[in-house]
Amino acid sequence: MIPTLGLVGILSFYPTLKGIILSFQNYTVFTFNRIEFIGFDNYIEVFEDPVFPEIVKNTIFWILFSVLFQFLLGFSLALLMWKPFRGRGIYSGLVFYPWALSGFAIGLVWSWLLNGQFGVVNDLLMKLHIIRNNINFLSDPKKALFSVILVNVWYGIPFFAIMILAALQSIPRSLLESADIDGASGITKLFKIVIPYIKPTIVNTILLRIIWVMNFPDIIYGMTRGGPADSTNILSVYMINIAYYESNFSKSSAVGVIILSILFIYTTFYLKITSKGEFEI
Amino acid sequence: MREKFYIKIIRLILLSIFLIFSVFPLVWIFLTSIKPADEVYTFPVRYFPREPTLEAYRYLFSFANFGVYFKNSVMVSMTASIVSTYFALLSGYVLARKKFKFKKLLILALFFAQMIPSYLIMIPQYSMFSKLGLIDKLTGITIVYMGIGASFSTIMARGFFLRIPRSLEEAAMIDGCSEVSALFRITVPLMLPGISAVFSFSFVNTWNELFTAVLFLNSDRKMTVPVALYSFISKAGIKWNVLSAGLVVALLPTMLVFAFAQRFIIQGLTQGSVKEV
Repeated sequence: MIPTLGLVGILSFYPTLKGIILSFQNYTVFTFNRIEFIGFDNYIEVFEDPVFPEIVKNTIFWILFSVLFQFLLGFSLALLMWKPFRGRGIYSGLVFYPWALSGFAIGLVWSWLLNGQFGVVNDLLMKLHIIRNNINFLSDPKKALFSVILVNVWYGIPFFAIMILAALQSIPRSLLESADIDGASGITKLFKIVIPYIKPTIVNTILLRIIWVMNFPDIIYGMTRGGPADSTNILSVYMINIAYYESNFSKSSAVGVIILSILFIYTTFYLKITSKGEFEI
Repeated sequence: MREKFYIKIIRLILLSIFLIFSVFPLVWIFLTSIKPADEVYTFPVRYFPREPTLEAYRYLFSFANFGVYFKNSVMVSMTASIVSTYFALLSGYVLARKKFKFKKLLILALFFAQMIPSYLIMIPQYSMFSKLGLIDKLTGITIVYMGIGASFSTIMARGFFLRIPRSLEEAAMIDGCSEVSALFRITVPLMLPGISAVFSFSFVNTWNELFTAVLFLNSDRKMTVPVALYSFISKAGIKWNVLSAGLVVALLPTMLVFAFAQRFIIQGLTQGSVKEV
């Protein structure tokens, strides 16, 4: 127990504490030899940033749509894969592999695939006569957020599918067979037996996923770095950009503390409503 | 019968759509990696290279030093994952089997540790490690990586231990095993799926980690694979065929681990972190 506690303590909790302290100071590249406490100035600066409301809106969109579609498509994929078929092992390897990729690399590759001028996706859609003109997936501020969400969905489907598939396989066969005898239709079975049975898995997966997606700037960083015109800027990307471009480490820590507080409140709240014996940590 | 046939066809079509959607980027990267440089940017887009070549791979390993980065990454990820898996097993065992004060609080703390944005702790970590002289050292980044998945791995490992009946160990102890040898002789072999799951999970995570590595490693010979790929794009534009070759090579170990341990990862994620009814 001690080594893990030590690791988590020294490498996570202690730096978090330092990070929180940092967020109340004025640590930038220009002031590193005279760091002072400046109270809530960094927070005020963040909240008063004219793009802040848009960033919050983007973050909510990002989480909501990413997780929603990851879940819906992952669930469908799991249902499709439920009944064994020939080659399921290889099939699952090929369908689940995005899970093993690095977010940044995914972002990079997709930004190339979705390129407005010479992107492959445009070319394919044109050849299939689905579109007439190239779509500027990433350079049009109105479409960019949806493009990065699309990629995040692509990345997240396997995770949901894996979890839900495993839960599906734990449903006792007898339960479904007796439903068959009673003449239940596919849809009735889905809503009356399958979904209630795997509900804990669904709930927990969504909870975990929301936390991860909130803390997951990698794809956006690989694709747009928050642009164009902040249209894909979310809190975690904003935080990195402040650290990298403004070199204002205290302000970026303040954003980090904001993220952490939101997640903290969210999780506590979430556990309160769902922890009727379902949640197990 | 007829309806069943229709359902089969629909299922087949949907499964194929999912397959195409997920595999298409991978196919594209692979095709690009075997294109000669002048075929990469052809317009209109050319899908299959006219003259497939290993030029990009040769460039990658000779000029771009990719072999060194690959070795660095293997060393860092392997060491970090083995150590953190070992720790996770021991702590997971204690959390699953022992009763002690503050246990609930500890579990909760591990759970909350997962919410900390890594970017919040990166700078304090950096100053900590620079005081220890561990910046730009593979040892330093290895230590940071041990901490990355520690909390999740522990929670996962605990879940596995909870599934193994306590009575098995007790029986072994009655037969004269000490507690530790009961753990290693009886429980650990039963835990093999769990161990592989925890290991693969932390391996994949550390193998792909970019931002901390970019901050911690700055000399050329110390770079890990993600940092090297990252540097390919900043150095005078992107050479897509070389980058693609790099991505293919970078994918191999995680694909390997994934193919080998997929079954266990699936079990690990569901049984370890989530309780089924």
